[in-house]
Amino acid sequence: MEKLLAARLHAVKVRPYLAVALFALHVVEDRSVPTMAVDAHWRCYVSPAFVARMPVEELAGVWVHEVSHLLRDHHGRGERYARENEEYGPGERLRRNIAADFEINDDIYGDGLPHPLGAVLPSLLGLDNGLLMEEYLRTSSMSGLAADLAWLDCGSGADGQARPWELGPDGANGLTRQQRDAVRFRVAEGIKGRPGEAPEGWRRWADEAFHPPQPWRQLLGAAIRSAAGAPGVGENHTYRRPSRRSAAVPGVVLPSLRRTPPRVCVVIDTSGSVSDAELGSALLEVAAIARAVGGRRDLVSVISCDAAAGLAAPLCRAEDIELIGGGGTDLRSGFTRALRSHPRPDVIVALTDGQTPWPSEAPPCRTVVGLFPRPARGVNEHDPDYVPDTPPSWARVVVIN
Amino acid sequence: MTSHALLPANPQLALADDLLKLLRTTSTEPRPDDQLEALTLAVAADLPVLLWGEPGIGKTAALTQLADSLGLPLTTVIASVHEPTDFSGLPIVGDDPAVQGVPMAPPQWAVELVRAGRGLLFLDELSTATPAVQAALLRVVLERRVGALQLPPGVRIVAAANPRASAADGWELSPPLANRFVHLYWVHDREVVVRGLGGVWPRAELPRLEPARLAEAVAFARRAVCGFLHARPTLIHRLPSTETRRGGAWPSPRSWETALTLLAFGTAADVSREVLALLVRGAVGDGPGLELLAHLDRMDLPDPESLLADPPAAELPERGDLRQAALEAVVAAVGARPERERWEAGWAVLVRAMETGAPDLLVAPAKALAGLRRDEWEVPAAVERLAKVVGIADRAERSVERVEAGLGAGR
Repeated sequence: MEKLLAARLHAVKVRPYLAVALFALHVVEDRSVPTMAVDAHWRCYVSPAFVARMPVEELAGVWVHEVSHLLRDHHGRGERYARENEEYGPGERLRRNIAADFEINDDIYGDGLPHPLGAVLPSLLGLDNGLLMEEYLRTSSMSGLAADLAWLDCGSGADGQARPWELGPDGANGLTRQQRDAVRFRVAEGIKGRPGEAPEGWRRWADEAFHPPQPWRQLLGAAIRSAAGAPGVGENHTYRRPSRRSAAVPGVVLPSLRRTPPRVCVVIDTSGSVSDAELGSALLEVAAIARAVGGRRDLVSVISCDAAAGLAAPLCRAEDIELIGGGGTDLRSGFTRALRSHPRPDVIVALTDGQTPWPSEAPPCRTVVGLFPRPARGVNEHDPDYVPDTPPSWARVVVIN
Repeated sequence: MTSHALLPANPQLALADDLLKLLRTTSTEPRPDDQLEALTLAVAADLPVLLWGEPGIGKTAALTQLADSLGLPLTTVIASVHEPTDFSGLPIVGDDPAVQGVPMAPPQWAVELVRAGRGLLFLDELSTATPAVQAALLRVVLERRVGALQLPPGVRIVAAANPRASAADGWELSPPLANRFVHLYWVHDREVVVRGLGGVWPRAELPRLEPARLAEAVAFARRAVCGFLHARPTLIHRLPSTETRRGGAWPSPRSWETALTLLAFGTAADVSREVLALLVRGAVGDGPGLELLAHLDRMDLPDPESLLADPPAAELPERGDLRQAALEAVVAAVGARPERERWEAGWAVLVRAMETGAPDLLVAPAKALAGLRRDEWEVPAAVERLAKVVGIADRAERSVERVEAGLGAGR
């Protein structure tokens, strides 16, 4: 027991941002556990024999590994994956455990924690580092590994399936859902507060722990719908015509529901930094959404724009649009061109990687920016002080990735 | 009169009626259900609740159960099939509008609700209502007015919406409307569904407010929220900035007041922290809500001065991270007013902690306490009993050094 706790101190010392989570774990000694395992209620089951044969520094690595399963919510995600794909059974459990280990192990060792010999790494199957558990599960069968790693068992905390030795939700010293959320939240806030200390993988986790990224298609759709449906545009109520209900209630003035198809203008950044595949998928999406909000095809126009804006072409068939450009970007000319067209658009959708100057003031219509994320660029060779502006606050920004 | 009434009843149809009656005979049982408890508490606190949930998940069924067990008549209004005037009142032109004005006539459901004096108003399909209808609903939800009618205090308001992902043609909730609601995310519990289909649904019970605790609950809620916002003033008002957070709860003075009310009700009814967390996060959003809960956790820690006053009887939290926080508070209290007796009492608290829990938690507080020593103070005899802690700390230290040496050697 002392050895195990010394290992926890070691882990706290080299990973101070995980201290809260490590100390929140409740240790349960149990001889029937193969090695060390966690359950969904933040209890850590430990086999005394396993502790006896491991050196302290390797045990520290095991602590960090097990707590990572819990912080990354592998039990909830594992259960969801099993339910969605209807994959149950011991083989599947092992597969989920291996995939979860892949997600964890690629960046927790080193820097004070020795690499254990038998560590399960994505490179064993020739897979890339840095993917999520679900991605590993989808891309690989892992059948080659399963036979060698049948002993691997990180408990229900890793895959969501109960084990015989576990105390269950009603047992002593478990953490409730809200308490677990609170611990995870404190760790995430700690990492975000001192981002220098934690490696990339943990920082990404901290950013997404409580706001998992949503599919951009839905976000873009919601943004365009809400822009196109704002008062004055799209489907709304009007007193310009009597309501069809009016005849039934004499003496009452009723509004009628009127549909004014919104005019959508898509400004496309065709500078060299945006790939054709990215543009193609985003453009098709915009066209589909514009149709869904009631826009007729002739009301959707497209302007391709690099340093200078092209002509506004009506979107007759999405496949026909010719995207011209390839140099540097100045979206301002695209906006000017869009606003000068007659009749003026109700919504401007700009698809860009954001490496551009923006108009200095809000255009007189709703603006949605579909942003292709780019890693922060270090130095521009011509102008070391050049920093591309972030999209302005008057635009609704949807990150497309 | 039509001739249908004279036709003999079809025996098959009568049998079908019997079968339906049997199917619809269900009973209820009290069952601990956090989300139902949270809903009931928010309804009791007279705060508008918004249930988010996939279609067909049983939101309406839960509302029917709630209305039944509260003894309130349920009025369901599907927001998306109404027009703004159904909520703001239908303008009726009279004989002389210039003199009498144009009255805004309320719809029938509102009149009936006012006549009953109490009831549960359920606004369904909120997110698929047009922006103009949502704007008209603002007034119903906030001011409780439908046209010229004022809804009586006995009327409670609950709304339901489908999340954006499943409402393909939905509008999103505007931030002002979203800010007025307590957002509860409705998920189905496998067991509740299975047992319910078997004929037994869970029963919502009104939270039992303790008459003796009312004043104390208000004081606690005020202390918690004010103390927290004093420390984190940036969280008082924060409009949702990213796309993913739109349409949900966000912090503003109004929603903090909601959180305060919920905290007071929750305390007076002595509900679990789980339920409280659902409500607080639903009022001010996940991030600020979780931070407030962490603040509550810290408020729950034992007072360091009382621990120092009687170390052998010290009751420390079971959970490791909280226990360490309590011990650090003790050391900080000693550091704030360093006196020999207090310093020795600090060691006694640490000894007590070692006897009742994991020793590795003590390393950091013990180090800090040792650092507070003045030259003329002798090390108390009790410290020897912490030898185990020192042993563990040394062992961890050596192991860290081994790893560093191993890396230095080019491993």
